[in-house]
Amino acid sequence: MKTLSLRILAVVALSLAGLAAFAGSPRRRATASLDVAALAHDVQTEADHVTAVELARWIRDRKPALRVIDIRDSAEFDEYHIPRAERLPIEAVVKTSFQPGETIVLYSGGGAHAAQAWVLLKARGEKDVFFLRGGVAEWLDEVMNARIPANATGEAREEADSVAALSRYFGGVPRQVDSVVPIQSFKAMTARVRGRGC
Amino acid sequence: MIAPFFENGVFGETASLGVALAIGIAFGWFLERSGMGSARKLAGQFYLRDLTVFKVMFTAIITAMLGVFWLGWAGALDVDRIFVPETWILPQLAGGVIFGIGFAISGLCPGTSCVAAATGRIDGLAVVAGMFAGVLGTGLLFTRLQAFYFSTPRGVYTLPQLFNASQGAIVFGVVLIAFAGFRIAEMIERRFTRASIE
Repeated sequence: MKTLSLRILAVVALSLAGLAAFAGSPRRRATASLDVAALAHDVQTEADHVTAVELARWIRDRKPALRVIDIRDSAEFDEYHIPRAERLPIEAVVKTSFQPGETIVLYSGGGAHAAQAWVLLKARGEKDVFFLRGGVAEWLDEVMNARIPANATGEAREEADSVAALSRYFGGVPRQVDSVVPIQSFKAMTARVRGRGC
Repeated sequence: MIAPFFENGVFGETASLGVALAIGIAFGWFLERSGMGSARKLAGQFYLRDLTVFKVMFTAIITAMLGVFWLGWAGALDVDRIFVPETWILPQLAGGVIFGIGFAISGLCPGTSCVAAATGRIDGLAVVAGMFAGVLGTGLLFTRLQAFYFSTPRGVYTLPQLFNASQGAIVFGVVLIAFAGFRIAEMIERRFTRASIE
């Protein structure tokens, strides 16, 4: 009786496996649906990215389930990467099944590739995905070589001191400057971003 | 109602913890009842006397695989929402070697050591203590291990990708390998049991 049951089970398993060979693959959501209005809203409200300083605070404060993903090539990653980052090529990122509750931060050399990866993950339905808009360059500028206004007062002083402490935490060298002037002109902006990769 | 139920919001976190508890109890119960709490039985597979573990694990693999494949094919299971662990080739090879050495020496693996400990076996308690010490040690040394830990990443990398074949073809191949494995395992068991009696 036992042998008969085993044989029946074996025949069922083999039949299901044989049919599977002809069935191909299970239905996949290869073409993920994209809520373009929600995506546009995220971009408009700047909910799509984090700044380098915000990311630095998340890393320092051990934000639970944070995954910082560097999508550059291995040579660039080996040369320098953000602490706690893991390297995953963009093709691997879109095939990765992230766990519920994980916060994913993508970055590249500049920001373009990370932004593209952000769109792909959003299309796949991932919720807490962000990218570092200025990439590694922003991290180096705003965290590792943070410019701290020497004459700031009040809340601005507190924020400046906090950023300086953050910079030192990551081994950076914050520089005291007379004032931090936002970049106004297009020419100055292009000069600053020139040399940043994607 | 499409599975996975938690991923698709059919039930919440509390219910999912309840389901996890029920599955965990069932898993432990069946492991214990099938004799997997005994280090002697488990170590038997390394001496080729008792290949029960191999047969039980491979049976579980093909049963789950056929279930996932056909439920996915029928549209009752969204296979894209199942968490698939990522591949890091070198660190996982090293982990496998360490795991295998531990398994052969202690005669227990993580699940069966918990089962053995729960039934009051001293060796099971010792393996559980060793396992937690190992986890703690890895955590404490993580900054030193990090470079290796995240080396050779492949993202989610599966057999259909490796062999460029449909999932159904892989299912068929694995089931055939399992059946051949069962037959060979029983031949080996008969031979080595006879040899040990003589």
